[in-house]
Amino acid sequence: MDELELLKQDWKRQEEVLPKLSYKEIYQMILKKSSSSVKWIFIISILEFVLWASIDILVRVSGNYENFEVYELKGFSTFSTVLSYVILGYFIIRFYLNYKRIQTTDSAKVLMQNILNTRKTVKYYVWTIISFLSLTAVILVSYIAIFTDKYKVDGSQEQVPVYIIIMITIIVLAIFMGIIALFYRIVYGILTRKLKHNYEELEKLEI
Amino acid sequence: MNKELEHSFVTNLEQNQNIVHKVCRIYTNDPDSHNDLFQEITIQLWKAYPKFRGDAKFSTWMYRVALNTAITLYRKSKRSLSTTDIESINFKIKAEEYDDEVEQQLKLMYSAVKQLNDIEKALVFLYLEDKSYKEIAETMGISEVNARVKMNRVKTKLKKILNP
Repeated sequence: MDELELLKQDWKRQEEVLPKLSYKEIYQMILKKSSSSVKWIFIISILEFVLWASIDILVRVSGNYENFEVYELKGFSTFSTVLSYVILGYFIIRFYLNYKRIQTTDSAKVLMQNILNTRKTVKYYVWTIISFLSLTAVILVSYIAIFTDKYKVDGSQEQVPVYIIIMITIIVLAIFMGIIALFYRIVYGILTRKLKHNYEELEKLEI
Repeated sequence: MNKELEHSFVTNLEQNQNIVHKVCRIYTNDPDSHNDLFQEITIQLWKAYPKFRGDAKFSTWMYRVALNTAITLYRKSKRSLSTTDIESINFKIKAEEYDDEVEQQLKLMYSAVKQLNDIEKALVFLYLEDKSYKEIAETMGISEVNARVKMNRVKTKLKKILNP
């Protein structure tokens, strides 16, 4: 006989040994807090939004914004601030809509897809904002190096070439992005490893 | 939240708790993890309950939420079970009507099921619960044909585990 059929016949008998919880015990359970992966994904995503969105505020508080004014870049700074909030707004709305779509009553595959999409929204936000910040930094350094005297050594001829300053900026930014990417891979990996694995397993079935 | 909703939910779950316990049996290996998963499934069921319209049977609706929680939402890592761990499996196998050979075979079967991956366990679970391939496919979000194909592969896999 088919082994699974044998198991199926026996399966019903398993009910005899299952625990029996009382009304009160079940009631106690609904008062407790969930510790599901979705909850953690939600918390970490919100933290990421807060962290990256607060960079702008940090720059202001630390007084670095005065630099823009000194170098007549006020227009540029206003533009970049507005743009960064537009980016933030767009991603928060997308995140919210994706998060709302997560329903445990969906099929396993749709549920997994929705969770992964929600997570991806935050990932895209982080990369968009990092690219944006880096680009702003490169533009700023280039502008200062080309149009102002800030990097000129007083009166001497040994001036650092402009391209070297820009190159160094780009290298520093690349290293910074590399570290963030690595950190991201680890956090993202821990959060969604099981989910991704199971999702891939279901995907394989469709080929 | 309103008391009436709480009461109808807890009553419904109390009557149908076997489904959740069986999911826990398949996905966990010790009583602590069992209770932990039961707790999380209960919370997820309760969270989804206000949207439960009663157009489906409560039990049918439970299968989805319970399996989704076990496969997708439950975070804690499980202690993997080695093949030699057969005795520790929390299934009742001893029965007077079984001869030794059948009993041994069942033991091996349950331990083999425990070695399957999360998705395969879900398929086997629904199959054991006598669900149609249509229902299995809908619960998992795959086509009916693929559900059949996968189920056959799982059967082959189980055979291989049983007769290495």
